[in-house]
Amino acid sequence: MRRSGTSLFDAVLLFRESLYGTLVIAAACSVLGVYVVLRRIVFVGAALAELSSAGIALALWLAGHGFALGLSTHPIALSLLLTIGGVLFFGSGSGRGRVPPDATIGVTYAVAGAAGILLISKAAAGEAHEIFLHGNILGITRTDTLVLLAVAVPVLVAHAAFYKEFLFVSFDRETARTLGFRVGLWNLLLYLTLGLVIAFAMQFAGVMLVFNFLVVPAVTGLLVARSMGGTFLWSIASALAAAVAGFSLSVPFDLPSGPAIIAVSGVLALGAFLVRLAQRR
Amino acid sequence: MTALVSFDHATLGYGRRVVLSDLNFDIPEGDFLGIVGPNGSGKTTILRAILGTLAPLKGAVRHAANLRYGYVPQRDQVDYHFPLKVVDVVIMGRYDRIGLGRRPARKDRDLACAALDHVGILALADQPLNALSGGQKQRTLIARALVGQPNVLILDEPTNGMDLVSTTQILGLVRELHERDGLTVLMVSHALNEVANYVERIALVNDGGFRIGNVDEIMSSSVLSGMYGIPVDVDSVNGHRIVVARREGDARDIAHTGGLVQPHHHATQRDELV
Repeated sequence: MRRSGTSLFDAVLLFRESLYGTLVIAAACSVLGVYVVLRRIVFVGAALAELSSAGIALALWLAGHGFALGLSTHPIALSLLLTIGGVLFFGSGSGRGRVPPDATIGVTYAVAGAAGILLISKAAAGEAHEIFLHGNILGITRTDTLVLLAVAVPVLVAHAAFYKEFLFVSFDRETARTLGFRVGLWNLLLYLTLGLVIAFAMQFAGVMLVFNFLVVPAVTGLLVARSMGGTFLWSIASALAAAVAGFSLSVPFDLPSGPAIIAVSGVLALGAFLVRLAQRR
Repeated sequence: MTALVSFDHATLGYGRRVVLSDLNFDIPEGDFLGIVGPNGSGKTTILRAILGTLAPLKGAVRHAANLRYGYVPQRDQVDYHFPLKVVDVVIMGRYDRIGLGRRPARKDRDLACAALDHVGILALADQPLNALSGGQKQRTLIARALVGQPNVLILDEPTNGMDLVSTTQILGLVRELHERDGLTVLMVSHALNEVANYVERIALVNDGGFRIGNVDEIMSSSVLSGMYGIPVDVDSVNGHRIVVARREGDARDIAHTGGLVQPHHHATQRDELV
């Protein structure tokens, strides 16, 4: 896909719809990612992403075997179904009996990941395997972007409106409970918004890129900022910057877009770490 | 005095597991009560029943109308990775009053600063929480509990992991809040020696047993030896009570413990007492 002579600007212009969609995914994931990192549920995010991808794989497998039954077997529907199932499981604190919570997350991650790969290996769709693993952000259309916006905007509005509730139950759930906050309900709502964003983002961005947007920008934000507001702003800014830079570099240089964006995210996080290090001296 | 919380033959536990049974006592207004016992004895279970977050399996736990708690959790229950300023943490104590989906106003910040001033760390209001010492963090959490203008201040293991100086300062502050402001205070701790020299009443919890009374009544060799099941001495140094678990072979007789002594428990139980 190398376009000799094509300027960076032309390349971005050509795929601008894809870039817009990627920016929506980056913004939504980077906001939720602050909670994911601070609450130490990074691997819940990874497990939900794997469950979501297993849903996509199941839909593709069903389609490949002539079981496409309309909306119920659409990749988004099955992806959402499995992700919400995971949200209810992790959000309700299930698995806290004899099995430690992180082991439950690990089992879900491994089994969902393997199930997805097994299903996709038997799916008839040609490039399904590649798209499944790495996503296909270059294939995002204007309609896809509008769908992503329809999910991301309500989620972000809910997080802006109920910021103090989400913050309190994340920071100190026992005290929140004593002040009458319904901690279980707020936790579930937080997980639900996370599951929704992951399920829709996974359709286009793939496991690696979604996981990146959930973790790396938030880490950058935490390294640079000294307040919650600053952390959210730096997280969003670094996610958007990584999306634009990675996307812009990947098209003219014929690089896979997802890994290019992840690489830029990593460089930004490293830069933030070095800045933090310099400030301490 | 009016009872703020009443345990009426309450049995507490989780599911089918009974932790403490037939609890029957009141917490009157103006009380300064220490709930003391080893880890795993049921202190937190009583605390949850008082806070209303755990319903009794049998009997009843009654709360006075318009009762408002100021809760100071164990320090390790709070996550210090959050990039929050001290004043932001204190404002959380007013979140329930601010209302769903609304942001704190100037008034909330002013009240938070007043609470910080009350506990002597107003100068740290704009400092990051994770930059504070253990004692300063505890003061921040106490300020957060106070900013909601509670009837009862509840502290869960307030001196856990603190050095001697910080422990003395925090317990001194808590006693000051009780004496100066007339605040009802409940303090949960495993450290009998610390609590006994500050509170007015003690509730002793151990191995399913429960005993409550004035400090003089509880801090006797016979009561403590009976509750802990090992021979215990209560001595006094400069007016401060010190509880010491007696070692095997010590001169004093253990007969006064009423046959509850189990010598092979000495080594482990001794640590828990102090």
